[in-house]
Amino acid sequence: MDLAMIVYALNLSAIYALLAIGISLLWSSIGMMNMAHGASFAVAGYGALVAGDLLLPGINAALQGSALLPLVTFVVLLAAGVGSGALFGVLIYLLAFLPIHDKANFAVRGLIVTLAINLATVQALLWWFGPRQQALPNIFGFGRLNLLGVPVRYDQAATILATAVLLSVVLSWLRLSRKGLEIRAMMQNAEGAALSGISVRRTALPVMAVTGAMAGAAAVLLSQTVYVSPGAGAMPLIKGMIIALLGGLGSVPGAAVAALLIGALEAATGVIPFLGQRMVLLVQFGFIILVLIIRPRGIGGLLDETRK
Amino acid sequence: MSVVLEINDLSAGYGPLRVLHEINLSVQRGERLAIVGLNGHGKTTLFRAITHLVGWQRGSIRFDGTEIGGARSLGEGRRTPGIVRLGVAMTPQGDAIFPGLTVRQHLDCGAWSRRAWKERAKRREAIFDLFPPLRKLENTVVGTLSGGERRMVSVGRALMTEARLYLIDEPSLGLAPIISQRVVAALREIDVMDGAMIIAEQNVSLLDGQVDRMIGMHAGRLRGDVGHVELG
Repeated sequence: MDLAMIVYALNLSAIYALLAIGISLLWSSIGMMNMAHGASFAVAGYGALVAGDLLLPGINAALQGSALLPLVTFVVLLAAGVGSGALFGVLIYLLAFLPIHDKANFAVRGLIVTLAINLATVQALLWWFGPRQQALPNIFGFGRLNLLGVPVRYDQAATILATAVLLSVVLSWLRLSRKGLEIRAMMQNAEGAALSGISVRRTALPVMAVTGAMAGAAAVLLSQTVYVSPGAGAMPLIKGMIIALLGGLGSVPGAAVAALLIGALEAATGVIPFLGQRMVLLVQFGFIILVLIIRPRGIGGLLDETRK
Repeated sequence: MSVVLEINDLSAGYGPLRVLHEINLSVQRGERLAIVGLNGHGKTTLFRAITHLVGWQRGSIRFDGTEIGGARSLGEGRRTPGIVRLGVAMTPQGDAIFPGLTVRQHLDCGAWSRRAWKERAKRREAIFDLFPPLRKLENTVVGTLSGGERRMVSVGRALMTEARLYLIDEPSLGLAPIISQRVVAALREIDVMDGAMIIAEQNVSLLDGQVDRMIGMHAGRLRGDVGHVELG
């Protein structure tokens, strides 16, 4: 295993972790399996695209030739993706959570409603933007950073760094803030939380916005290697969901560990000669099925406070 | 004396099962009331109906003049935070409602009002004075505590914000006699001056002399308002 492969694995893991932790967090705090997470991902990609078209010419003119230009571009695109992801999260909250969250069988109903939102959103994006794949402006060029003798692509370095920063912000928000305490209380016992005056409706809104924002960040970071298109959310949704399952649905540390594992597995499968890139999905799913047969509650099942 | 809680013709249950049958009850300000009865006769369901946690309910529940009862089409638990915020504090049956939080975080969860949250350090101290064994365990995860300690945490959480109605469900359930006596003694120390406290309990002798009034509960109906009794 050479070092460049480890960087590639970390790059994949970072994006998977953003998606899987969002899905896991939603399930454990408000008991909703968010099938529209892929739509948040696609919407955020287009949000960044539109913001880029509107704002970047001006920024380019203002900062002509400045060394700050790539950084400013990156921040603008990331902020646009995060913002539109969060807004879409709020929309899902209004459509799929608020009306049905206290009805019987909310888990199944939520699954169906969010799946419908996912399909409708993909169709709406197709109708508005057309099926053409579009690329976000290339932010970092094609240069490489030489890190201890390992060539690291700029976008890989930025992805790993940005994910690490975003995840530590989200996790410390969960650990340290009052809202975070309420969310963790709700994760462990929804009824006990209600008896402590914690309203599910008020707590679910920031959770939906934050997980949407995480999907948006993943969309912008991944768009450096994959094009933005209406159906772009399907694969991230599926991978994020199975990684969340592998991590033990509802466990944040479990999802992080699972993302690292799957990222490493994907990178390793790609370079093994007789498997190669085309066998990646087969190996990934095989591995996940194997783990879930041995440990049905996933990796995080024993680690911590998951929803029963 | 004014009335804190006035229940009229309250029926409640889960799905086709009807647990409470036209309950009438009124609780005076400053009163400590015990509802005693066997398992499965509706004590817990009565508490859960007051906090809207049963499957269905109908009948009037007036809390300090505000109607919090009535039939509803909404799911269980939807109105619970609102009722808690009116000043009803309930400790649910069983323990450790948030097993993964530390004692300190667990107590902070109970401080829902703005003032209580600001004063939470002071209030935690007051809880530790009431339950001295908790002081050493401040940073321990609640899931690893013993049954008695968890019960203290559970009661402590309900005391973090001042309430006008305390609903204490089975304070002695699953505890050694000496520990349940300590919990009941601590309940006795809680100041309910402008509110009231209702304790649901099976063990009548444990509450001997600790409450102002006892009511029996049998098959979903209140039976016999016995007032204060001294048991030999």
